[in-house]
Amino acid sequence: MEEVKVIDVKIFPYRYLKPETTEKILNDLLELKGIVRVMINGESLPKIIGFGPAKGVNVNHSDRKVIKVKKKDIKLFISVGSIIITVELEKVNLFLKKLDNILLKRLNFKYEISAGIFTKNNTTVSDYLKYGVGFEEKIDYRMIGLVDPNARSKETVKLILGD
Amino acid sequence: MDYKAQYSPGETKIAENRRKHMDPTFEFKKLRNIPDKDIVNVLGHRNPGENYKTVHPPLDEMDSEEDMMKDLVEPIQGAKEGVRIRYIQFADSMYNAPAQPYDRARTYMWRFRGVDTGTLSGRQVIEMRELDLERISKLLLETEFFDPAKSGLRGATVHGHSLRLDEDGLMFDALQRYLYDKKTNKISYVKDQVGRPLDEPVNVGEPMDEEYLKEITTIYRSDNVSMREDKEAIEVVGSIHEARTNGGFGLEVFKNDLKYKLGE
Repeated sequence: MEEVKVIDVKIFPYRYLKPETTEKILNDLLELKGIVRVMINGESLPKIIGFGPAKGVNVNHSDRKVIKVKKKDIKLFISVGSIIITVELEKVNLFLKKLDNILLKRLNFKYEISAGIFTKNNTTVSDYLKYGVGFEEKIDYRMIGLVDPNARSKETVKLILGD
Repeated sequence: MDYKAQYSPGETKIAENRRKHMDPTFEFKKLRNIPDKDIVNVLGHRNPGENYKTVHPPLDEMDSEEDMMKDLVEPIQGAKEGVRIRYIQFADSMYNAPAQPYDRARTYMWRFRGVDTGTLSGRQVIEMRELDLERISKLLLETEFFDPAKSGLRGATVHGHSLRLDEDGLMFDALQRYLYDKKTNKISYVKDQVGRPLDEPVNVGEPMDEEYLKEITTIYRSDNVSMREDKEAIEVVGSIHEARTNGGFGLEVFKNDLKYKLGE
């Protein structure tokens, strides 16, 4: 396995982002150099009501929609709460500066940017508890800790080619 | 002896707001008008105009055995008529919502009769006879006890009180029961409290100003008024904590009792 030197950058806005804002930020962001992968995190939005007297009724949440990032459709299943970007270590300083400018322009509320390790780089006991022994064979090793191995990767992973 | 109720300890504005909520003689400022029909719709227990479902015949027509308590306590209207019990449930955002679960529980107990209230970390349910429930819901929804943006009427899927707000300042709601209209600056409910779509949206008015909310909230927050600033409240909480901890160890009472029973 070839080793790459990367670092995670986490954007933590003080408000949940609307799909329109997420779209703008992601499009601006992907223009920057050195990005390896991007993960968006947040509070899950159900398609149908799962329990209670209204079980089975459609939710039709206006935030659960398709956004266009670099001309690719991305289905949002969540209210976006944080964005984690894996960046090449040598380009991270310039990246952080440019990222700050993007967020200043796009957000009218406070946010935090921090650099560190925010994604998993090893399989842990809780992964085995969650997904069962031997789950690594079902999933691309690069996705461990990023996505649910039982989910269809067509829905959770999008490949966007860089320059 | 004549006692004067103190309601809640504390010397800050937060404590003062809590006392205002609990004091039955204090009148809430009315901020909005919601028609009765709309309240019935949002509650989702019956259709407007429909009769109340009953679980027993009116009390006057019932033969019940002699009971002193029944003479002593006057039943509320819903109980008199035998109306069934229904609920209303609220979730309050930690971002300075006017009320919060414990405050709600104490307020309900001080102000209303015939209630059964349940306190959870993120939501507060009040159960009572449907007829009286609707009357009380009106008070709870129309006054400054309720902020359309930071409080939510949620019967099920309540998650959101501890999450960040969205860009418009609304508390997160996975079922999106209410929508914010930027043009009119008004919030309206498009679903009832459990998430069933309504035929017509119910307008609940403008969201409150965040600075104003800081003045009327009953939540201690380090970015508003921290609980540590309130010496009296801390003292009361501290003494309760100490009493409970010592009490939990039995204050040597149980030990002696046990020894006695074992014949030592």
